[in-house]
Amino acid sequence: MDRLRFIGKRLLYLVVMLFGVATLVFILTKLIPGDPVTANLSQRALSDESVVAAYRAKYGLDKPVIIQYLLYMKSLISFDLGTSIRTNNAVLDELARCYPATIELALVAIIFATIFGIFFGIISAVKRNSIIDQIVRAISVTGVSLPSFWFALIMLFFFYFKLQIFPGPGRLSTSFSAPATVTGMYVIDSLLEGNPAKALDALSHLILPAIVLAAFTMGLITRTTRSNLLDVMSTDYIRTAKAKGLSGTGLILYHALGNALIPVLTVIGLGLGNLLGGMVLVETIFNWPGVGQFAYQSVMANDYPSIIGVALLIALNYMVINTIVDILYGIIDPRVRVS
Amino acid sequence: MKKRLMALVLAGAMAFSLAACGGNSSSSDSASEAAESESAESEEAESSTDSESTGNNTVVIAMGSGFDTLDPGQVYEKYPQMIINACYETLFKFYSNDGSAEPMLVDTYEFSEDNTVLTLTLKDGITFASGNTMTSADVAFSLNRTKNLQGNPAFITDTIDSIETPDDKTVVINLTQPDGAILSKLAYSACSILDSAVVTENGGSDAEDAATADTAQAYLDSTSAGSGMFVMTSYIPDSEIVLEKNPSYWGESTNVDKYIIQIQDDANTQMMTLSTGDIDIACNMTEDTMSELEGTDGITLLNSSTKTVSFLMMNMDESIGGPVSDPKVQQAIRLAVDYAGIQTICGEGTTTPYSIIQDGFFGSLGQRSTDYTDLDAAKALLEEAGYPDGFDVDLTVCDLAMEGIPLTDLAQKVASDLAQIGINVNIVSEAWAAGYGDDYRDGKLGFTVMYWGIDYNDPNVQLEFLPGGVVGLRAGWTAEMDADIAELYTKATNATEDADREAVLKEIQEATYEYGPFVMLAQAPCPMAYNSRLSGVAFSDPYTVDLTQVNVQ
Repeated sequence: MDRLRFIGKRLLYLVVMLFGVATLVFILTKLIPGDPVTANLSQRALSDESVVAAYRAKYGLDKPVIIQYLLYMKSLISFDLGTSIRTNNAVLDELARCYPATIELALVAIIFATIFGIFFGIISAVKRNSIIDQIVRAISVTGVSLPSFWFALIMLFFFYFKLQIFPGPGRLSTSFSAPATVTGMYVIDSLLEGNPAKALDALSHLILPAIVLAAFTMGLITRTTRSNLLDVMSTDYIRTAKAKGLSGTGLILYHALGNALIPVLTVIGLGLGNLLGGMVLVETIFNWPGVGQFAYQSVMANDYPSIIGVALLIALNYMVINTIVDILYGIIDPRVRVS
Repeated sequence: MKKRLMALVLAGAMAFSLAACGGNSSSSDSASEAAESESAESEEAESSTDSESTGNNTVVIAMGSGFDTLDPGQVYEKYPQMIINACYETLFKFYSNDGSAEPMLVDTYEFSEDNTVLTLTLKDGITFASGNTMTSADVAFSLNRTKNLQGNPAFITDTIDSIETPDDKTVVINLTQPDGAILSKLAYSACSILDSAVVTENGGSDAEDAATADTAQAYLDSTSAGSGMFVMTSYIPDSEIVLEKNPSYWGESTNVDKYIIQIQDDANTQMMTLSTGDIDIACNMTEDTMSELEGTDGITLLNSSTKTVSFLMMNMDESIGGPVSDPKVQQAIRLAVDYAGIQTICGEGTTTPYSIIQDGFFGSLGQRSTDYTDLDAAKALLEEAGYPDGFDVDLTVCDLAMEGIPLTDLAQKVASDLAQIGINVNIVSEAWAAGYGDDYRDGKLGFTVMYWGIDYNDPNVQLEFLPGGVVGLRAGWTAEMDADIAELYTKATNATEDADREAVLKEIQEATYEYGPFVMLAQAPCPMAYNSRLSGVAFSDPYTVDLTQVNVQ
């Protein structure tokens, strides 16, 4: 019952927050200098008053700002995110088009980051101050510090161009056509289509961009796992366990790691939220038609319905992820549930 | 243990719910199911769903992004022209980059004596990809739709007053005034002839209220509705466009079966994908990536000069331009610019036009000599203008790039050139979408560096640089300020005979060679590279590459 009330509160908070985000982004897009008309019409069209007027009328830009806001909010209540000023398509359709590509990439990236991050964190903690620890720490610092666009170019240069181990940019090789859309995620859709070769090809295209995106989060997870595992290893109950004769892998995996992973869960959640917001530069370099590219182009075009749509999507991501992480906390650690 | 299990289940649920959020995407078209596996025959055997092979002649092209629709009535950007030209046809067409517009769908044409009525007869046997026969009604629908959509390319129909269709083959275009560029305009993508039955069925309208009533863009972004050599079967924005051969094409096709056009903004990526054989044509190379490919077996490099031109603009209004509004200062700046240096920055293939009409256009006087720079004469002019010690001035520059060359690079070069004659330039950077664009349009910039890409392939497009023209007004250059030069605008528009046009275009170029608020800096190059297995790949200003002329050897 408590848990249901908790989830209910979260949902209510989510609705309020989404309207707050929509309002804030709407105000900000109106405050910054620049006119969507200038950003979207050609130099020639801008000089034709009738074209400019028709454009303003089409997207409701000729109405007072407050009316624009009220109309937008009215459509938002009916789950209509409006029409993109840039593409002239429904924002919801645009997000439905590009979000699956981002989800697919983000999920693979977060899986890489989590597996390698926790593994390196454990190794680093167990071999504290050894040469292995130093190497792992260097890797994690490098992962956090590497500019993603540069890392992306380097990865492409070596692993695609020079060594030709992984495929190049894009979601599929040109020898395959895009699978019929079910989820929008090519690996799953190819499998649903009964085409494992295409699924494998789609999966191989995910590896390089996922590694690039995973590097930052992996570095954070490694460092968090290491420091928390070291803290846990110095607690009384671990000392007691040691005194009772437990040691080695069993002690770490069955007694220490569970408690050490609670803060790591937060890092994973934040990392996933961050990745789901889209990564403009990496998406551009790997020719990945995800949310990041869509958001960037929407911003450049002052396309405020799309900007708000992306902001709402990102807010929703974080809210859903945080809620799930909070619930997981409660399950893992009873103290959290009680508080 | 139980709790851990539940935690795992929840974690899985989190991943699943995020996956489920994917929803339905409609960008990929199952109609485009085709696996023309060049290299993996076994793959074909395995993947039964990808069995609609389109043969071996698949050509993959990489090009830049920056467009949001492939509806001919809305398109005006550079790269979609390549796609529209492959899927649609126009009444006239540029078959070579240096030539003029020649009849394509038109069998015969003639102007009335006063050059205000153009009567065209369509060729026999032209069919759309749908199988419908093209008639004069399709022509009228397409041109009226572009005009009434009031989108970016609507200006192309500005001089079209009305269209009559006395019979299925005859089209009578009534013009508001004589228009020497009308044939070039009719060759522009926005004048592509659409299958009116199909477009109307999918929400299209050519009525006066088409700007709000027409809803065909979504359809035309998913497939094409033209009579061209190819049919668009898939368009994933910012990612990929697939064109497949029109099996019922009325004319003679090339041997290319399918084009896959990938959006790759980064020149390095294009260089790598071309080198590995993943693509066949790289449209957006740079000088560096061209050097990298030099001497590579099986790759041909192509360096051409485009008609996209960068220029300095000095506002004629003293309250906005300050010292740079003085014609003597303007000429001093013109003399101080190091044109050879600018060409080096822009890369091989760059030229500087003689005046406001680019080299390569009909009637152009060619190039300005790189020896034109004369610092002593520039200093003398500054002194005459009352600035013996020079002056400080802001040069506003935006975040745009001309064919991949950042305008900021040009601004820095201009600043260093002008420093030599005592003009201290302070570069002010602004974002196009966050203020610069509005100021530029409204003529509020005193001194700026900008570029201009041609709308349609005709020298008349440059008339906008004259006093009272679209760009002229942005420099505060009104028709009243220089009535003699302003008159040349109408004179050039009204000239329809080649000799008359040539004469007036020459007059315009001489008048603006050493006078006016514009200093033309450079015509951008277009470095491209392609796989040598292709023939017929040539740079074209209207289409970048005319895909209807490419063959696989």
